[in-house]
Amino acid sequence: MRGASAARHRQMRDKLKDILLQVQKPARYVGGEYNLPDMDKECSERVLLCFSDKYEVGMSNIGTRILYHMLNDTDGVVCERCYAPDLDMAELLRKNSLPLFSLETKRDAKQFDLIGFSIGFELQFTNVVYMLDLMGVPYYADQRGEEYPPIVAGGPCVVNPMPFAPFFDAVLIGEGEKNLKELTLLHMQCREGKVSKAEFLQRASKLDGVYVPSLNNRTKRAVVKDLDKAYYPTKVLVPNCDIVHDRSSIELFRGCANGCRFCQAGFYYRPIRERSVDTLVRQACELMDNTGYDELGLLSLSTSDYSQLKELVDKIKVEADKRKVKVALPSLRLDSFEAEIYDGIQGASLTFAPEAGTQRLRDVINKNINEEDILTSLTTAMKYGVKNVKLYFIIGLPTESEEDLQGIVDIVHLIKKLHAQCGTSKLLNITVSTSVFIPKPLTPFQWESQITIEQMRQKQAFMREKLRIKNVKYSWHGAESSVIEAILARGDRSLAKAIVKAYELGCVFDSWSENFYYDRWMAAFEQSGVDYQKFLDGFAEDEELPWDIVDNGVTKSYLLNERHKAYAEQSTPNCLDKCNGCGANRLERCRI
Amino acid sequence: MIILKHYKEGDVSYVSHKDILRVLQRGLKRAKVDVRYSQGYVPHMLTYTSTPVPLGVQSLAEYFAVDCTGIDEKELLKRYNASMPTGMRAVASFYKDKNPNLAAIVVASDYVATASEPLPLSIEEILKEESIIIKSMKKGEAVQKEIRSLVFDVKVQGNKLFMRLASGNSNLRADDFAAHINAKCGCDIKTNDILRTAQLVSIAGNFVDVEEILK
Repeated sequence: MRGASAARHRQMRDKLKDILLQVQKPARYVGGEYNLPDMDKECSERVLLCFSDKYEVGMSNIGTRILYHMLNDTDGVVCERCYAPDLDMAELLRKNSLPLFSLETKRDAKQFDLIGFSIGFELQFTNVVYMLDLMGVPYYADQRGEEYPPIVAGGPCVVNPMPFAPFFDAVLIGEGEKNLKELTLLHMQCREGKVSKAEFLQRASKLDGVYVPSLNNRTKRAVVKDLDKAYYPTKVLVPNCDIVHDRSSIELFRGCANGCRFCQAGFYYRPIRERSVDTLVRQACELMDNTGYDELGLLSLSTSDYSQLKELVDKIKVEADKRKVKVALPSLRLDSFEAEIYDGIQGASLTFAPEAGTQRLRDVINKNINEEDILTSLTTAMKYGVKNVKLYFIIGLPTESEEDLQGIVDIVHLIKKLHAQCGTSKLLNITVSTSVFIPKPLTPFQWESQITIEQMRQKQAFMREKLRIKNVKYSWHGAESSVIEAILARGDRSLAKAIVKAYELGCVFDSWSENFYYDRWMAAFEQSGVDYQKFLDGFAEDEELPWDIVDNGVTKSYLLNERHKAYAEQSTPNCLDKCNGCGANRLERCRI
Repeated sequence: MIILKHYKEGDVSYVSHKDILRVLQRGLKRAKVDVRYSQGYVPHMLTYTSTPVPLGVQSLAEYFAVDCTGIDEKELLKRYNASMPTGMRAVASFYKDKNPNLAAIVVASDYVATASEPLPLSIEEILKEESIIIKSMKKGEAVQKEIRSLVFDVKVQGNKLFMRLASGNSNLRADDFAAHINAKCGCDIKTNDILRTAQLVSIAGNFVDVEEILK
């Protein structure tokens, strides 16, 4: 460690000594994980990658993991991390007049050359303000002069950048392997040339997928051309403490071929690009060797759609068995449930997401599963001795009626009947979970209204009543937080002041149910004079949408056509069967 | 059975013992050590540790026993050191036919705490007391404990405080004891400035460094 940095590190460490043992899980704030990149290498650009949630959530995020290692593997760039400190830590930082600091070198966040935020979820918006506050920087980009580094945002939640755009100098839309790297190198160049922040942002706005709020430029989502050759780290950080998804992961492909009409990820991550079996097996082996994890996850939006899943799983299983590693296969879709794969890997629990209770409604949302598929897969599962079945549904979908809710109950009864007929396990537990439909940008339902909070409660009460069945558990996702999420998802720039107000009223970590305060949010909207109702009521089809400024690939006309098909109860085939012309291949060719 | 003596210092001292166990086992996997597994329904690695230091206390003498095959103690030490996060480094390794069960035989530990300023010699007076009651938190509740029999020796040298305290089945946490001294003598010993330097066993009424019986 160089002199000045070592001295600063020591100083901060000394101050931290007093407070680290007063907080819960201090390991979250000290870094020092295995596979830490070289923090002392020659560098002319020091980037701070912030994640707008706690360590255990942020460390589980595969996107920031990729970007962190990618930047550290770039010549001349060092990247450090910062997560939202828990409330106890924040209180002590404030009490001791300490700024938010990086995990690696305990450096004051403001001293970095570039700060990037990864925002994963609408209910993390207040955490952004919280972190800016702890950094001691003004919340709004236009109040931060040359003395502050540019602060940019990216992540899965920037499909509609408007609600939080005023906080950032730039918003990176799309895949960070492309635009974050380009932006970092551009900033390094601009700093060497002593170019002003305004000029840097002007130049940045010319890059793919860089939206500069002060310029309000149109931009096109950045995508990686060849995923098979794209950067993917295999010497990744292994945390010293428990995190949410504590395993190594390989990413099979990006994009999704299914086109479920409520699903933002399904449209946002298009075009579909796969990694080859050879690349994946190599990455899996390297990851298992470099991390020592007991578990390897195969990630994608719909793993069963991977073109050579059987071959891949067979090859990976051989390598994993050698190393006593368990392979986890999430996101298996009901219709492509393969008993063979299931038998080898999953154990005695099965998760299905039919999303809607009747075939009619499944056609509306384009969940291409029919009754027969469900029956066949469940029968197979029963024969293999499944003990737990978890079912996921959405309530409040467009056109939903009581019949559709009853359909959910019918499915539960059907499963119980099947188990009685052909189940090999003694007992079968069924868990039904419902979430509330939240219309999201860049989906065919982006124009829809959300049901009212009273309707949500009625529907949940209906389900609660009807699902009072032996060995059946019903859980539901909060109505209030779904309302706030819906507002934040489709809002415009006016929402920024409501987010700040909500933070000032004590809203932070809204996505942790114990910290969610609906009344504070409502007070925030009122006090900041923001009319939130319009974002719940939906938009007219010819109305300009806040996120129209971003070209996300899939065209508005395609989405509109899908919406009309939804109301006509017509389904759209899986992209693997036939290209439906959604427009995503304008960004990059779909490789299926 | 190979026993490693390792450090736990710096940032990693803030990692709890429960998490350290996972760190150790992952390290062994990375080091490609052929560790024996239990034969139960959920097989787990056969590894054993001695009584851990409290969260925040650093150590030069943590012991970790590994039931493994196909590797000698020197090679294990080398691979272990290449596979662990900063702050966890093995400094010695020993081969034993049988598990010495350190957790059961260790009776005391030596610690040295370094304060920022010279410490009063009056701290040593504590040895003259017949009863020492400390207050500590146990599962969120304040409890009182008589610890006189658990304090074997206390010495002050400049800004350093040397302590020999009971460890193992009958245990006195060094941080609790330091907190008692801080309150009693008005010093400022920080938990993170306490360092365990040795673990001791009792042989014929004498304290002997556990390393002696591992050699």
